[in-house]
Amino acid sequence: MRTRHFVETYQKHVALSDSPATWSWVAIFIIALLAFPFLASTYLLAMVTSVGIMVVGAIGLNILTGSTGLISLGQAGFLASGCYTTGLLITDYGWPPELALPAAGVVSALLSLLVGIPSLRLKGLYLAITTMAFSFIVTHFLLYAESITHGPYGVRIEDLNFLGLDLADQVQLYLFVLAVAILTALAALNILRTRVGRAFNAIRDHDIAARVMGISLTRYKLFAFAISSFMVGIAGGLMAFQFRFINVDIFNVLLSIEALAVIIVGGLGSVAGAILGSFFIILLPEATREVLDFLPDSISSALSIYIYEIRGLMTGLTIIIMLRIKPQGLVGLWRDVKRYWTHWPLSK
Amino acid sequence: MDLFLNFVASGLVIGSIYGIIAVAFAIVFKTTGVLNFAQGEVMMLVTYTSWSLGTELSLPFYALIPVSIIGAALIGIVIERIFIRPMIGQPVFSIVMVTIGLAVFLRSMIVMIWGPDAAPFDAAIKDEIIEIGPVVLFSEQLYAILLFFVISGVVFLFFRFSRVGIAMRATAMDETAALLMGVDVRKISSLAWAISAVVSGLGGIAFALMFSRAPDLWFEGLRSFPATILGGLDSPLGSGFGGLIIGVIGALSEGYIGQGLKEISGFFVIIIVLMIRPYGLFGDKELERV
Repeated sequence: MRTRHFVETYQKHVALSDSPATWSWVAIFIIALLAFPFLASTYLLAMVTSVGIMVVGAIGLNILTGSTGLISLGQAGFLASGCYTTGLLITDYGWPPELALPAAGVVSALLSLLVGIPSLRLKGLYLAITTMAFSFIVTHFLLYAESITHGPYGVRIEDLNFLGLDLADQVQLYLFVLAVAILTALAALNILRTRVGRAFNAIRDHDIAARVMGISLTRYKLFAFAISSFMVGIAGGLMAFQFRFINVDIFNVLLSIEALAVIIVGGLGSVAGAILGSFFIILLPEATREVLDFLPDSISSALSIYIYEIRGLMTGLTIIIMLRIKPQGLVGLWRDVKRYWTHWPLSK
Repeated sequence: MDLFLNFVASGLVIGSIYGIIAVAFAIVFKTTGVLNFAQGEVMMLVTYTSWSLGTELSLPFYALIPVSIIGAALIGIVIERIFIRPMIGQPVFSIVMVTIGLAVFLRSMIVMIWGPDAAPFDAAIKDEIIEIGPVVLFSEQLYAILLFFVISGVVFLFFRFSRVGIAMRATAMDETAALLMGVDVRKISSLAWAISAVVSGLGGIAFALMFSRAPDLWFEGLRSFPATILGGLDSPLGSGFGGLIIGVIGALSEGYIGQGLKEISGFFVIIIVLMIRPYGLFGDKELERV
């Protein structure tokens, strides 16, 4: 039985993880993801591409809500601004996608500073509502500022060439999204274990105490907003790449709520949680559909009209059940399982 | 000037609906410290139930209202018991997230039960035209404004003078002390949910009488947030009048500035208000001890 884990060298201290087991699991996971497009159907591939995009956004939200404790109900707004920035820069202004994607992150980050400044005085629920207000204002602008955003007609991106990759191709898009998701995860893991990340956690746990210890609330809250929204904006840009037809309709309140559901189900404040949660939330409606197929035809066809409602029902129930039985999310569940096995037979 | 007065009147009409829902938000927040994101959905559930009672059992309107009030109270109590009570002791963030989950859940459930189509809510008191000077209103619009004032008055008197209302304020102020004084704190929470379900349900019925019983009714709940914020989350009366202000601002900006502003002018207003007074116009400033 392992009693304790001792870190003995400096290298081990600064390593992202000093456990060979973790590294080998990550390696297996990444190899599986790389092999995935050659095994799976196009439908599944598109779905896992969506998971990848959601991972990028969820990691961003998790930095803001999970690590810093600033609740945001306006993710749809940040996603929409990123998505439209990329789409419009490519179509109307002829920017190359290589520049339009980072621009999405930058625009979202700048907008988040606009929301962030009033948020310095706000706490908890008031902040959640301000961010929600922000997302309504963004979608309103997108819908009514027709001369800039094409309003209700949407934006169509014809072809996409990113550093020689043809992103209209499913497999290449998938690999590209995978690369961005891995980069985002690495960035977040590194941010969260540095001074900045610990400052975020301190603000979440008690902001006045954090301030007393010399953490500038203004700087770090705004920084959390900016980093988080940069990632969410990138996720929005990736959405533009995936759909290639952008419409304001998908950026509704349900999307913001689903984003929160992802990090609650996965585990607040953890990168692995954002990844697990994204898989869970996207694959859940699919799993439901599979289950529905087993039901007698009369019932399943009656239910199939309500596929959107069933999705909402499942999202809502998942949030409620998860908070009730396992507030630490899937990551917490995983930790419990691990502890059980390492301590067996002494585990209780 | 006539146009202006009519804009103000229509703003007051929709504002009184916002106000009623905002009062419901504030009641739950004041007593339990939880912002109920599912308020719009609770309202929707009450309205749909009452619509079914009205059309399918064809209850006359004056019988329908008492039955709806009882039904709404039951709905509030049941929701509190199933979803909120087990979360007692958890951080407020978790409970608020449960209400968000509940909102999505109820919304989908309602559409699955009643279907996605809108239906008119008919009652005998509808469709008379009433002229007050240059302002023309339908009778149901006037009743909505009246309902707002009645509800505000009753809620004010209830919290100010009734024994239960005082117990609720005591619980809000200091739960432990209230418990030691013999207040049944658990009952207070379910009572708050019942009252807020009744209040918002009446608002929903008034709204459905003016427009229709439709699956996007829940959105009125979100639109009432600015009202609650403007008035202060912990002040039922302030929230109510916040609703009137938001309604009038919405109608005027829609009328004079641009189309579509009715929906979002409120959100502009609260962002500005929160920058100046982070606890709403009439809310209590929160002092924090470290």
